[in-house]
This record gives sequence, structure tokens and C-alpha cells, in this order.
Amino acid sequence: MIRAVAAALLVVTCGAARVAGQQAPGAFDHAKHAKLFPSCTSCHAGAAQAGRALWPDSGGCASCHDGRIQKRVAWQVPESLRTNLRFDHLVHLAKSQAPLRPAAAAAASCLDCHTAAGAAWMAVQPPVVARCFSCHKLGPDHLAAPDTACATCHLPLNRATRLTRADIAAIDTPPSHRVPAFMAAGNVGHGALAKVPGGGIAASCATCHARDFCLTCHVDAPEQPTVQALAQDARATAIPVRLAAPPSHAVPDFLERHGGRVRAEQRQCATCHTQESCLACHAGTPRVAAALFARSPERGPGAVIVRRPPMSHGARFTEQHAGLASARSATCAGCHVRADCLACHRPTAASGPGYHPAGFLARHPVAAYARETSCNDCHNNGSFCVTCHAASGLVARGPLGTSGYHDANQFFLLGHGQTARQNLESCIGCHVERDCVGCHGSFGGRRFDPHGPGFDAARLRRKNPQMCTACHGTNIPQ
Amino acid sequence: MRRVAAVALVIAGLAGSAAAQGYRLRLDTRMQIVSFRGLTQDSVSVADTVSGTGGGPATSDGFAVTCGGGDAYCFFYRPGPILHGAPIVSSADLTLWGLGLPGLSARVAARAAGEMGNDHVWPGTSPEFQLLEGYLDYATPRLTARLGRQIVTSRLGYEGFDGGRLSLRDAGSGLELDGYLGWGLAQGVALPVTSPALNPLDDFQPRQRQIVAGGGGGWTGAWGQVHADYLREVDPDVDYFVSERAGVQAVLRPPVRGLTLQGGSDWDLAMGEWGSAEASASYTQARLTATVGARRYRPHFALWTIWGAFSPVPYHATFGRVRVRAMSWLDLRASGERYSYAPADVSTALVAVESSGWRYEVGATASVVPGMTIDGAYQADFGPGASAAGATGTISYAPDSRILVTLQGATLQRPLEFRFDESRVKSIGMDLQVNVTTMLRVGVGGVYYAENRRRPDPQSVDWNQFRVTAFATVALGKGGDFRSLPPAVRRMPVGERP
Repeated sequence: MIRAVAAALLVVTCGAARVAGQQAPGAFDHAKHAKLFPSCTSCHAGAAQAGRALWPDSGGCASCHDGRIQKRVAWQVPESLRTNLRFDHLVHLAKSQAPLRPAAAAAASCLDCHTAAGAAWMAVQPPVVARCFSCHKLGPDHLAAPDTACATCHLPLNRATRLTRADIAAIDTPPSHRVPAFMAAGNVGHGALAKVPGGGIAASCATCHARDFCLTCHVDAPEQPTVQALAQDARATAIPVRLAAPPSHAVPDFLERHGGRVRAEQRQCATCHTQESCLACHAGTPRVAAALFARSPERGPGAVIVRRPPMSHGARFTEQHAGLASARSATCAGCHVRADCLACHRPTAASGPGYHPAGFLARHPVAAYARETSCNDCHNNGSFCVTCHAASGLVARGPLGTSGYHDANQFFLLGHGQTARQNLESCIGCHVERDCVGCHGSFGGRRFDPHGPGFDAARLRRKNPQMCTACHGTNIPQ
Repeated sequence: MRRVAAVALVIAGLAGSAAAQGYRLRLDTRMQIVSFRGLTQDSVSVADTVSGTGGGPATSDGFAVTCGGGDAYCFFYRPGPILHGAPIVSSADLTLWGLGLPGLSARVAARAAGEMGNDHVWPGTSPEFQLLEGYLDYATPRLTARLGRQIVTSRLGYEGFDGGRLSLRDAGSGLELDGYLGWGLAQGVALPVTSPALNPLDDFQPRQRQIVAGGGGGWTGAWGQVHADYLREVDPDVDYFVSERAGVQAVLRPPVRGLTLQGGSDWDLAMGEWGSAEASASYTQARLTATVGARRYRPHFALWTIWGAFSPVPYHATFGRVRVRAMSWLDLRASGERYSYAPADVSTALVAVESSGWRYEVGATASVVPGMTIDGAYQADFGPGASAAGATGTISYAPDSRILVTLQGATLQRPLEFRFDESRVKSIGMDLQVNVTTMLRVGVGGVYYAENRRRPDPQSVDWNQFRVTAFATVALGKGGDFRSLPPAVRRMPVGERP
């Protein structure tokens, strides 16, 4: 933080110096008047005497520059510098040269800052910032100054009213802010550094920042006394800040495990996340967001969630997700709403290819015969398969052999048993029970036993004897 | 149509006027236009058949026919008229919360469908209105109670019912218990089993909806999850079982980064059969994803059909998948599966039927230009009943986050085992999706299928067809940063960023 403050001071000071040093048209040429003025305070009385103006009256120039003695000039008192310095000439004079007479003292202290060492009289230049550091024992590195030093020379941002957003935006980020730990929570992060024993906020923070800056990220700003200790100033947002996810969020399985961390570190999550962070994904289960703050004007927007799929959602995940969803569907519900499931599991009549790849219609027979996936999870045989086959004319109108579909083998009727047991779900895409009962039932027909290996007649009779009556009537074999 | 629009408007109005603190609403309208030539069944007396080009019986005008032994007639298909369908579906998905009681939310997902074409050829447009889900949800950290129409997802599949459900959980231990009871819906659709829409061929149909009762328990820990489920369905008309099943599913994450093991199985307690099962190991790293496993598939039939008594046999398969990021812009993938049916224990001396099969795919995805993705794959399936082999290609281009253009093409050869049909299908299509605003997405697409049915008789009908799709999706929300909704929720194109 201190380096940020120091950097800000350097930028502002240099900017001010540059402005002051500009020899714009009409600027006063001190060297040219070197023999005219014996002291600085003869013109800049305010530097040594309270209540006097720091700058001379421009009318004084006309005593010589009247158009006859000297040509007329158009010098004017310069505008106040756009700076956040709290520099006071009188204070510095009193502290630095107290034993001397006022005039000599003023001259000595003015030269200390406004001329280079050994320079001629009136060889005035903008203040040399390094001398500030030297006197204040800050060392050569302005940005390395301790936190407590910033307020010595600089006003809080909200009181530096002449600084524009552009001035503030130009403040460089001090090295201390670039340390990864600076953005982290805990004892080494910026939150801890900003705190002051007994409450309030470090003056160094207030030099460059105001509460509006904190609101850029901090969702919990109203609950943070440190943030509340800062004054409000909309210009503070001129310093760009980008909320970066902490390192913990980069762990590959963070998404799978973040729910548990939320329960354990709720307050920490609330620093950057609003309820909207949760609802961005947990739309179907809004309860998970209840622990966080809702977005409001007095809070920062916090993290904007840009979802990435978890590690498990790799290639061909659609074919593998059933197991994961079955093991704990609540995990899926963390990000997905039921509409995502229904898009495939209850397909609409008007949808193009969704779960299935483009052109699947042409190859669906092979996928359906051997059940590449479980068709029945999404498609009802009656309303989907049979309806479509019937509309196309592909439907049985009677027992096997009375439709002409299975024309690749004239004996298909006699040998259909194996394929029926292998692909029964495909058979019923066109056939209904009465097509089979005629031959396989015990009523007068051919009485071909359809029961195969493992058939447990006693169990079925116990569970649902009604099914047995379809073929056996009331004469169910014991 | 008017009913579709009315339903959409009513739901939108409800959302807008709701006194809830927050809501999510997604309105989606989709339309498809299709036209294709169907088949018409015909017959000819055995006496009128002649010897066809393939040596078998045929009609005098060349149609190969199928004649049953001892029957007086032979059967075949003639090309039917071109059928036109234009299904349109409007869906609304609404979640409301902040209803005055902390933890209380409401959810509605409904759909209205209609047919704008002359021929009602497309499945899923009847009935016109379907309530997919509609329930009140009260949730606290320890329990969730739901009342209304809902869907339970478990190892046993997607089970819809009208009733109540209670879930208890302890976050500290990771334990979860779940139970539900209600009137069930049919498999694979949000309709009761008594709906006429499920019985297009006038087959046997139950007179009452089944009563569904189920429950389960699970544990979630740092090493994975395990969950067991039990489900029974009872026909209240006769008070007998419709089904009774149990299942268990586990996902384990051993302390090896990127390694996941998962497996599960279910049992058909009513039939006394072991159902489906699978086990797999997946390894995921930044540049590699690989899965190997084995599975078993056995169909499940409810006891109010006779199909379970026909003793369907399971198949057992081994499979593997691998995806490699060969370069930063190139992904390569390959997958394969081989399966074999259990002995069917039936004599088919006159018909040789395949009892095993395999399938594989090799493909690549390249992102050579920013915003453009090129994908190509070759896929082959060989198995009982049908086979297929062909290539697909897709080029997707998203010049910015608002527009996505996709070109696709495919060629496929698909012989059938039980029917003379050596079809070769080629298709080409294009899709355009545009995010008009952050809340509105529209799209239009079309695909043309050209099929050459290489049959030795006139049944090689022209199946060429166009299909055109269009959609508009509006997503609204309050109480949350809607713009940051992920694609999974917002249904926006991949790559969308707030």
C-alpha cells in the first residue's frame, strides 16, 4: 500500500513540477531579473509571512513594463497546481530555519528546494522531490516509504479536489501491490494491511483510494469497517482494478468441491461473491445462494461468473453422464436446471438434432437395435417410435409375416426367435402384443412357448398374475 | 396454434407479474418442416406372384413380396404419397423464488405443441399441452420437500410422477436420504399411461395410473459418491406390481489426480433378473482423456406388458474411448465397443442371425482459425439387425459471440439384416444461430437428405427430403445477474460470454 501511495505522490508531484516548470509565454524569467530582486520574499511574501500572497500582484510588473521603460508583459498569477501535496511554506520555514532572521531564512530555505546546489542566484527551477525525501529521511526510493509517511506530504484523495480522474488513473501501481499475496485474504493481504489498530484505515490507503474503489470488488463493503472508514469519492474508480480469482479457484476439481468450502468459509466467499454469483449457475436451486448478500447499489458487483465445465465434462460426456448423474443428481443440479435435462430426455417434436448428432435419423436403426444408449430414457415407445413408424407406413397390421417388411429372408417368420430375444425393444417399435399372442398364446393358436432361459413363472405369477392371463387366460400353469 | 401462443403468453404474464423476488423464465418456440415419402402396405394373392429378379416371389410389376407358409396372400410395400409435416412446439421453463417464505420456490416446465402441416406424421405433437414439471420446492440446508409433478433421476432412469418427495441430508457426514410417493407417468414422456397418445396401435392399455413409491440413500465424500435406489410401481386397478427394481451407482475418485472410477447395476426384482450394469475407469488430464470399461444391457419391461415374459437376453460389451489434444488447435478422438448377446436359447435353423457386433469411431476436431471449428469423423457400426458406416463433417464459425454458423455434411451406408435395403444416404445442411440480444436467441437451419435405396425391386422408393427448422428462445430473469448465466442454463451457443 505504501508503495502505491508513494507512486501516486511521485506522479502527482512530477506532474505539478512539470506544470510549474513550463516556461509558457508570459512566464516570469527569474534569471533575467537576477539583479533586480534581492530576495525571494520580496515577490513571494506568502512564503515567509502569514496572511501574505505567495504570488506577486501582476500589476507590479507594470511599474517597469509600462511600454516606455520596458515593453509591456502579460504575466499572470499561475493557476494552483493539480496536486495532492499538503506542502506549507510557513511550516517548512519555521521548522528548517528557525534561528535565522526571516528574510535570510526564507532565502536559504527557498534555495534549498528551488535551485540546484551551487547554482547562481535566481536560477530557479521546479522543486526537487528528492530533497523532500532526503529531509524527511525517506531514503532514495519514494515507493519504499513506510505507510505512515504518506500523510506527511499528501492529502487524502477526497481532499485533493483538484486532481482529475486522469491524474488519478495515471498513478502507478506500487510494487507492493504486485505481490500475489497482496490480493489474498489473511494476515498478509491488503485487507490486513489497511487495518489500523483501534479502527479506521491506514492513511496510506486513503492517499490514493476512496470507498468507491473498494466497491469495485468488495461485496461486503457495508460490513467492512475498514472500507467504511474511507471517504466516498467517485474519482477513485479511475484506478482500474481487475478482480482475479484466488489461486484456490484454479485447482482442477475446485468446481466439484467448492460447495463444501462455501459452508466452511462463507464469510470469505462473501467478500467477492453476491447471490448472483451462485444464481448464475444454481438457478434451479436458489437456496444455495441464501447465505450471501444480494446485489445492491451500496455493494460491489463482485465476481462475475464465467462458467467453465468441470474436469469430468470431457469428450463424449453425454454418453457417460448417466452414471455420474445417478450417483448424485444433486451435484448436477448445482449448475444445471431441469430444462437442460428435458431438452434431451423429453425431446420436442420440432427440435433439430440435439443429443444425437446431425444425420442420426439415417443411422438410428443400428443404434436402436443394439441399444447404443438407452432410448427409453428419452423416448416413449408408443408416442414416439410407433407413431413415427406408423406414419411412414412401417407398422405391423397383423402377425409376423403379414406385412412384407422382413423380406430379406423368406423364412424370417420361422427363425425370428433369436432376434426377438436380442432386440425385443426394436420389435415393439412396429409390433403390438396381439401380433405375438396369436402364435405364442395358449388359446387355440400354435402355442409356441416364448419363455426363455431364466424365466421364473412362479415369481411372475406372484408379482402380477394379470400379465399371465394375456396368454393363458385364467388357466395359468402352476 | 392459438393455444400454443396463448399458453406462452399466459406463462410469460405470470412471470412478469409474480411477486417473487427472483425468477428465471425461458420461453422457447421451435418449428420444423419436413416432407418425405412414406410406404403403403399392399398384398397380392400367392397365385398372382411371379419369380422376381432376386429369385424370390414378386408381383407382376416387380415388387418383391413376402409370403407366409400356407397363407393365401403375400405382402409388400408400395411407395406412398409424399407426407408433409410442420410440428411447432412452444416450451416455457419458469423458476420463482423469494415467495415470502425463505427456501420456498416454485417451478413450472410446460410445453404446447401443434401440427401445422396437412399430414400428422410427426411424433410428439399430441396431446397439445404437456406439463413436464410443476412443483413447489421448500429447501433448507438439511431437507428439501417437493410437491407436484416432478421427475426423479436415479440409476433406474427418469421417473416422472405427481406426488411428493422428501430429501434429507447432512452436509457434515455427506449422507442423503430420499423418498417419494405419487401417481406415475409413463416411461420417456410426461404423460400418464392412460393417455391415448401412447397407444397409437390400439394395444392393451392400463385403465389407471400406477402408484409410484421409491426411495434411496447415498453418501458423498471426498473420494466419491455412492447411491442406492429402490422403486416399485403398483397398478391400483388390480393391486399388483407393475415393476419393482433396485439399483446402486458409485463414483470413486481415488487420490490420483484425474482418475475416476464409476460403476453401477440394477436388478429387476419383479422378474427376478439382473438388469443392466456397467463399470468404467476414466483418466483425464489436460491433453488426454481416456475411458475403458465394460457394460451389460438388458431391457426392462413393465409387468403390464407381456414382453418381459418373452425372455429378452442381455448383451455384454467392452468399450474404450480416448481423446488426445495433439496440438493446441487439434483434438483427435477414437472410440470403440464390442458386444455379444447372451445365448437366446432358441432354435433358428433357417435363419442365421448375428449375435454379436461392434462399433467404432475415429474423428478429429480442429480450430485453425479463431472462431472456426472443423470436425470430421468416420463411424462404423455392425450388429444384429442393422449396420452402418459413414463419415460426418461439420464446420462451425462464430465470428463473434452473437453469431454461429454451422455447415454439416454426412454420407452413410446402412444395410439392414432383415430387409432388402442397402441404402446409401447423403446429407448436407446448414444452421444459423444469432444472439439478437443477451436475452433473445434465434436460429434457422435446413438439411437435405438424398437416399439411394439399392433394392432389386421397385420398393427402392425416393426418400429424398428437406427438413427445415427454426427457433426463437427468450430468457428472462430477475434477482440475479442474468447476463452471466452459463450456456448450460441459458442455452446460448458455446463460447458465449457476458
